[in-house]
Amino acid sequence: MRRFYLITRDLHLYVGLFLSPFVLVFSVSVFYLVHGLAQRPAPERSASSRTVNDLVVPPGLAGMQGRARVDAIRPVLDQAGISGEVDFVRHLPGEHRLIVPVRLPNRDMVVSLDYEQRTATITSREHSISDALVYLHKMPGPHNADVRGNSPLMRWWRVLADATAYLTLFISVTGIYLWVALKAERRMGLVLVLAGAITFWGLVYAIAA
Amino acid sequence: MPSLREDGMAGERRTRGAFDSFLVWNRRVHYYLGLYLLFFIWLFAFTGLLLNHPRWQFAQFWPNRIQSTTEHTFESATTVADIDRARDVMRQLGIDGEVQWPAMQPPNGPFTFQVSRPGLVVDVKADLRAGRATVQRTQLNAWGVMHVLHTFTGTPAADSRNRRDWTLTTIWALSMDAVAVGLIVMVFGSYVMWFRLGTKRLGGIVALALGFISCGAFLGALRWLL
Repeated sequence: MRRFYLITRDLHLYVGLFLSPFVLVFSVSVFYLVHGLAQRPAPERSASSRTVNDLVVPPGLAGMQGRARVDAIRPVLDQAGISGEVDFVRHLPGEHRLIVPVRLPNRDMVVSLDYEQRTATITSREHSISDALVYLHKMPGPHNADVRGNSPLMRWWRVLADATAYLTLFISVTGIYLWVALKAERRMGLVLVLAGAITFWGLVYAIAA
Repeated sequence: MPSLREDGMAGERRTRGAFDSFLVWNRRVHYYLGLYLLFFIWLFAFTGLLLNHPRWQFAQFWPNRIQSTTEHTFESATTVADIDRARDVMRQLGIDGEVQWPAMQPPNGPFTFQVSRPGLVVDVKADLRAGRATVQRTQLNAWGVMHVLHTFTGTPAADSRNRRDWTLTTIWALSMDAVAVGLIVMVFGSYVMWFRLGTKRLGGIVALALGFISCGAFLGALRWLL
């Protein structure tokens, strides 16, 4: 039993320390999200714009849909030196163009790909650290589920965001175990668990019932 | 009269006493915050997983929603502001929640707004002259309630027209802030506790460095790597 306690205590410590930067990212971004405070870049594109010519465009790209189109467009983005998560793809058939917004936490780019001329015009803008935090907090999220995770960045972040949630649950359970082992703190702890439960369920009842 | 040396020792004892007291309370605050915020932490961690996995079948709520449409009459108020009109109609129809405005009101059409709270979305189309309203209620199951609780702030980021206007939304938003503050305090408190454990310092540095490197990479450093 003593051994189990010591292992649990070490796991709580080391897992908690590994997790702490992620907890800070998710916690700090809460203030920006809840109060809409994140500094968003101006709606107009920045002056940094460039054109890439002679791109190799996969045949039938414009006719594709959903994830298949996003996956097919990835090699084109690689040729243009663009990395990041493709938000969505908009097809403008009259102009033979695909509009592809691509996002990194600290930067976003819009690629306007002329698949007939095989040229792409790329505009980009930088995002503030607060906007990057908000973006990471919301990603991968519930929207555009079939295309989300189309970049290595987002695939890794999905793993780490999930790990943050699972490990938070884990260290909360190990924390309860470690608290129960402290006899002197049991009474006060129990009062606080009950107070927290009443606050939580009271709020949820008032808001949702 | 105490000597200078005695004065110095007393001062040192006081400083050490204050520091020891800080360490004791730092440890207690870590337990106490964790225990008080337990249900909130579980909710936000679990619903975070639900939001990131919209295909999990067991937590589907939108296909299982219950919708109903009803017609009502009400007395038109003489108020001018949209929010006051909406609140007056809501009071008469017995609806409570956060008001969400459409991008624009249809010209010469009904006065339209949406009222939402976790688990319930009510779309109201009110003919202010005739005093008649069509009310469509969309009721969500428990998964839907949990889902919305994670994101229920009343302030869509890119919408200046929709401001938080329900007291309970404000209280919920402040409780989200409180959970975030509590977690930040717990994190920094844990650094102090860990650093006092001399034998665990090296392992802790490794764990902390791994966390900061992997997290920091996503905050901007990736642009040099990719």
